[in-house]
Amino acid sequence: MGEQRQLEVSTHVKPPLELTSVPRWTVEPTLPDADLTGATWTVLAIGPDAGPVVDSWSAQITCARPGAALTVHHVADADAATAALDAALAGARVGWRLMVAGPAHECLQVRAHAVRNEVADDEMTFASTEVDHRVVLCVHCGTRTYASAGIEDVVVCTGCGCNLLVYYHVSRRQGAHLGFKVDAEQLEQTA
Amino acid sequence: MTASLVSAPDLLANFPFPFPTDQYRYTTNVEPARGPVPTPTGVWGERIIDIDSEYEHELALRERILERDPSRYAVLPHMRVAAWDAMLTLMGEMAKAYPDTMSLTRTGDTWHWRNGRLDLSADFVLGDESALPMEPLAYIGSQVQDDIVLLDQRDGDLFGDAGVVTFAADWSFGFDVGMTFLEIHGPVPRLRETGVITRAREFLMRLQPGEIYRRTNWTLTIGRRLDVSTELYHEWGRDRAMIQTVSDDEFGRLVHLRVELQHLVRLCESGAICFLIRTYMLPFVDLATVPEWRARAAAVLEELPDDIANYKGIISYRDRAVDWLKNAA
Amino acid sequence: MSALDLVVTAVDDSVPDVRSVTLARPDGGTLPSFTPGSHIVVQCGDVANAYSLTSDSVQPTSYQISVLKQPDGSGGSVWIHGLTVGDAVSVLPPRSAFAPILRARKHLLVAAGIGVTPMISHLRSAKQWGRDVELLYVHKPGRGAHLDDIAELADNARLFTTRADFLAELPDTLATQPFGTHLYICGPTTFIDDVVAAAEAHGWPPSRIHFERFGIGALDPGEPFTVKLADTGTTIAVDSGVSLLEALEAAGHDIPNLCRQGVCGECRLTVTSGEILHRDMYLTDADKAAGDAIMACVSRAACPELELKL
Repeated sequence: MGEQRQLEVSTHVKPPLELTSVPRWTVEPTLPDADLTGATWTVLAIGPDAGPVVDSWSAQITCARPGAALTVHHVADADAATAALDAALAGARVGWRLMVAGPAHECLQVRAHAVRNEVADDEMTFASTEVDHRVVLCVHCGTRTYASAGIEDVVVCTGCGCNLLVYYHVSRRQGAHLGFKVDAEQLEQTA
Repeated sequence: MTASLVSAPDLLANFPFPFPTDQYRYTTNVEPARGPVPTPTGVWGERIIDIDSEYEHELALRERILERDPSRYAVLPHMRVAAWDAMLTLMGEMAKAYPDTMSLTRTGDTWHWRNGRLDLSADFVLGDESALPMEPLAYIGSQVQDDIVLLDQRDGDLFGDAGVVTFAADWSFGFDVGMTFLEIHGPVPRLRETGVITRAREFLMRLQPGEIYRRTNWTLTIGRRLDVSTELYHEWGRDRAMIQTVSDDEFGRLVHLRVELQHLVRLCESGAICFLIRTYMLPFVDLATVPEWRARAAAVLEELPDDIANYKGIISYRDRAVDWLKNAA
Repeated sequence: MSALDLVVTAVDDSVPDVRSVTLARPDGGTLPSFTPGSHIVVQCGDVANAYSLTSDSVQPTSYQISVLKQPDGSGGSVWIHGLTVGDAVSVLPPRSAFAPILRARKHLLVAAGIGVTPMISHLRSAKQWGRDVELLYVHKPGRGAHLDDIAELADNARLFTTRADFLAELPDTLATQPFGTHLYICGPTTFIDDVVAAAEAHGWPPSRIHFERFGIGALDPGEPFTVKLADTGTTIAVDSGVSLLEALEAAGHDIPNLCRQGVCGECRLTVTSGEILHRDMYLTDADKAAGDAIMACVSRAACPELELKL
C-alpha cells in the first residue's frame, strides 16, 4: 500500500468522465444486467461482495437460456481471476462471454488481461463492488502502486518515491491509472 | 544587422511556421498533403518524409532512447501486416522525395531498398522477417526523423496498436498503446468539448487507401530537447521553472517554438492508418530574424486563452515569451 | 476522387451469366494498391455500379472484376457484358468497405452467388500473410464463380449447390469456431440476413460479424413515405420501389450523385426532422445515430414524413 498525501489541488474544472479513458464503473459501483446474447459464459466473482452479483447474473442467464453453459469461479483476487480467464480462453469458441464482478481495480486488471487476449468490448461485462482503491502506474519508473485514492489524489510511488498525481487516464492494456510527478515543475528544495 | 543563426540554414528555410493568423484555437485543421507552402524563408510541405541536416543526429538520438527505454516501440501481434505496409509505403515516399539517394524497386516478389544517405540496403520479400536486420517498423523507424503511430480501425473506432515514438511532446506512447484515438488525446476539456478530436477521428475513419492528409500542432519547449515525453517529465519539468530565472539572452536561445507536422496516411494493404509526427524546433533567437514570424508568434501567444496555455505547459513563462518577442523587434 | 481511364485487356465468359473483366491502364502502368475486400465504381454508360476487385492488391498492373448479368437491373451489368477487349472504361479509385479485421485469429468467409467476389481478394491476402481462413460458398449448379481461384487459394473451402446443403452445415460451423474468429458474409440481402440471424442465435457478438450488401437491386422496395422540402415547403411522395433520389430527380431537383447504391457519398442530404432508415455503406455509425444526414439513393424514412433541407 502506498502512502497518500493531499497536496494543493489545482483550481481547474474536472473533465466529464465520458471524455476520458476512465470507465464509469471505476468511479461508481455499477451493477449491469447479465449479457444474455452469448452462447457460453465464464463468470468471475472476485472477493466476498461479488457473490450476490454473480448469483443474480446466473439467475438471469439460466432464466432466459435454460441449460446455458455457464461456469462460475469465486476467487480472491485479480491474479486468480486471470488464471481462470486463461483456462476459459484456451477452449473457448465464438459465442463466449466474460462477466466479472469485484472491486474496480481488480476488474481493471482482469479487463487488461482480456484486452491483451483480444476479447472484444461486446464480449465482456464488469460490475464494480467497490471503487475506493486504484492501481497507479508510475510513468517514470514503471512501478505499480496500489492505494486507497481517488482520481487526482496524490500517491507516493513505491518504486521511485515520486509524488504521483493519479491522472484521468486509464490504460486498457495495463489496467491502471497513469501517474506522473505532480511537483516536477517546482525547483528542488532540500528536504 | 546580419543575424547569425543558432540553427543550420536549412532548418530555417524548411520551418513549417504553424500560425496562419494572429489568433490560435484548436481546430480540426486537416488539409491534403504534398501542397508546397511558401514562407518568408523558403518552402515546406512538398514531401511526406522530410530529411534535413539533423537527420543523422536525430536517428542516433532515437536509437539511444530506444536502448534505454524499449517501451517507446511496440507492435501488437495483429499489427504485423500494418507494420510491413507502413515500411513499404514510407520507403516509396522517401524514394519519390529523394531519388538521388533513395530507391525502391521490385523484381517479381523481391523488393530492393537502398538508402544512400545512410549507406544501407535491403532485399526482401513482403512478410519475410528474416530478410531484414530488425522488425519492419523498427527498420523504417531507424531511417526517418518522424515518430510513427499505426492505428487499427475496428469496432467503429481507431486503436493506437503499433508505433515508434521517441520524441513525444508530453505524452507516453508506452502507456497509451492499445488505447483509442479519443482516449489517447485524453481529458483536454476544450479539445473534447468542441468536438475537434471527434471530428478528426471521423475524418480519419473515412480516409480511403492511398489518401494522405496533414495538419500541424505546436507548443514551446525549453532547450532543443526532442524527447519531452511524460516518462521523462520528472527531468524536464523543472525547466519550466528554471526558464524564469535566466537572462534575456539565455531565454531567447533556450525557448523553442516546437511544431509537429503530422501526416495521416491510409495504408492500402492493411487498411491501417499511419500517423507520422515530424517535430521541428526553432529557438526564439532564430524565429526573431523573420519579422513576420516574430510579430505573429507574439500576437498568438499574447492572445492565447489561459486554459490552452496551461494545457500546453507554457502558462508559467508565457508572458515573458510575449515580452521577449516584442522586444526583439 | 478523380477517375482512372482504363481499357479492357481481357474478358472471361466461362461461367454462365458471369463475366470477368480485366482492366488496365493504356500504358500498362501501375494502378493504385487496394485493401482486400475493396470495390471500384465503374461508369457503365449512364449508370455507375460498384464491383468488388478480385485480383492482386499490391501495386497491381490490372484490376479484375466479375459481373453477374442482371437483365432486370439498371443496365450496368448488361453494359459490362457488352464490352470487348480494347474498350475504354472509366472507374473511380478503389474504396475499402469490407476489409479483413487485423485482430482476427481466423477469418470465416460465407458467400452466395456473385457475393463470392470480395472473398477472392480476402483469400489472396490470407495466402500472402499466412492467415487462417475458411470459405463456405453457395452457388447455383454450374454457376460457381472463381472456382479455380478458390481451389488454388483455399485449402478447405466448402462448396454447396443447394441452400439446403448449406443450411445443414451452417449451424455446426457457427457453433464451433475458435474464439477470435471473425465472420464475413456477402451475397443477396436475404442470404445475409439469414446468416447474421443464425450467427446471433449462436451467440456471435456484433463486433465479429461483418457483411457487404450487393447493389440496390438486393434491397427491398420499402414503404412509401413523403418528404417535405424545408426551403420551399413543397411535399414530394416517394413510392415503394422508388428511391428518394429518383423521386427528387423526377420532381426536377438536381442532386449530386454517382454510384446510386450507397457507397460513394455524393447524394448526401441534410435531414431536419423525421426518423431515417439507413441502408447505405457510406455514413459512419456516428453519422447515422446523429440522424441529420441521409444517403438519398438507398435510404428511406422510418416514419411517414422526412423534412429535408432543400
